[in-house]
Amino acid sequence: MRGHAHLISAYVAGSSWLHRTPLLLKFLLLAGTGVVVLALPGLLPRALVLAAVVVIHLAARLPAVRLLQPIRSMWLFLLVVLAYRWWADSAAGAAGVVAGLLACIYAANLLTATTEVQRLLDGLVAAVTPLRRFGADPERFALTIGLMLRSIPFLLGSLHDVRDAARARGLGASPRAVVQPVLIGAVAYARQTGDALAARGLGEKAAD
Amino acid sequence: MIRFRNVQVAGETEAGTRPILTVPDLALSEDRISVIGANGSGKSTLLKLINGLALPDTGTVDVDGLDTTAQGAAVRRRVAFVFTDPLSQLVMPTPLEDVELSLRRQYRNRTERRSAALDLLRDFGLEPLAGQSIYQLSGGERQLAALASVLAVNPSVLVLDEPSTLLDLRNTMLLRRRLASLPQQLITATHDLDLAQDSVRTLVVDNGQVVYDGEPAAAVSFYRELAAHVAGSS
Ligand SMILES: Nc1ncnc2c1ncn2[C@@H]1O[C@H](COP(=O)(O)OP(=O)(O)OP(=O)(O)O)[C@@H](O)[C@H]1O
Ligand SMILES: [Mg+2]
Repeated sequence: MRGHAHLISAYVAGSSWLHRTPLLLKFLLLAGTGVVVLALPGLLPRALVLAAVVVIHLAARLPAVRLLQPIRSMWLFLLVVLAYRWWADSAAGAAGVVAGLLACIYAANLLTATTEVQRLLDGLVAAVTPLRRFGADPERFALTIGLMLRSIPFLLGSLHDVRDAARARGLGASPRAVVQPVLIGAVAYARQTGDALAARGLGEKAAD
Repeated sequence: MIRFRNVQVAGETEAGTRPILTVPDLALSEDRISVIGANGSGKSTLLKLINGLALPDTGTVDVDGLDTTAQGAAVRRRVAFVFTDPLSQLVMPTPLEDVELSLRRQYRNRTERRSAALDLLRDFGLEPLAGQSIYQLSGGERQLAALASVLAVNPSVLVLDEPSTLLDLRNTMLLRRRLASLPQQLITATHDLDLAQDSVRTLVVDNGQVVYDGEPAAAVSFYRELAAHVAGSS
């Protein structure tokens, strides 16, 4: 479950225009992508959104390999989705679903690749602070979201590892051989992260 | 001051529950304490009880009068824990970001936070590596980075579970020197009998009990005899 170095260091140091774009706009871009993908089913609009996100990615001079990474780690999943939608719906519908998924992943990638974690956390804290009088704890909220974002590349990486391990034992691509270890890995990861934070007294309620 | 009263921790096995650790009464106030004992004897469990990473099934553990069960968050703000494997400790991709994470509570302002983090890393000789991926650091550098992150939250007690097990001789010596200079109370579990003697008091744990509690050199010879005896009789 280790050694997802290239996946975990999600932030790409740089000073591109996208790096300098205010966090709020990047958030809106991500949210907007999600909304459009959900609101407009069908291949054409989703393919357009996907194309737009890819153009932004390349225009910000982010490494093109980062576009391949999610596909490399998720191809099996994407393939299953594609096959299922094709069977249940149509080829175009299936392609639309996959295009929508990729558009959302790439849009999230744009945010994490060009925003340092600390900046992201500060942005989240600022966004949640007005809710403080309703009992929200902004620091805790930010930490949770921040760690969730961190865990996505980890989980993609572990999917990759587990598939290799299953293959090495001749288990092929049996969903059970893949899903179970990934789930166990995810639980272990969450637990380890929890312990790591507890070891520093972080992420707990402000007053106790 | 750390206080154990009538503590019992039990573990679940297929054959039912069995006691993992029993500590009737123990007060830890010395500023350098070490814990030694065989694999599986209960050292890690003892340490985890101190900051509430593990909770007693019966009895209580408290730190400066704060109960680890009822006031866990407050205890953890005082007592920080250093794991054997720094990769379990570091949650962010680089040492700088990881230290910054620890400093969030103390510094709201990002610029101040960054400069405080860099100061701390400089203290540990890690400034040149501040922006490196934690996966690209050597084991020794990683352990120092983890220590820096943990110290950044300003704990008054530091609990260390075999902090030198993954380190070579040189890095172990660096770590020992670094630890010696800390103002915190340190409680260290270790299989390294030299590190164990960087203390004023040593507990020997065997089979879930504290079987010796005293001066480090005497505790180490007690432990050697115990191990020789066990090895001889099997
Ligand atoms: N969550 C748990 N459930 C059941 N048994 C456990 C649990 N955690 C630890 N144990 C058992 O408790 C005993 C003491 O474990 P502990 O990790 O405290 O030993 P240790 O002295 O730290 O050993 P080592 O030197 O190998 O690190 C072991 O027999 C272990 O198998
Ligand atoms: Mg242990």
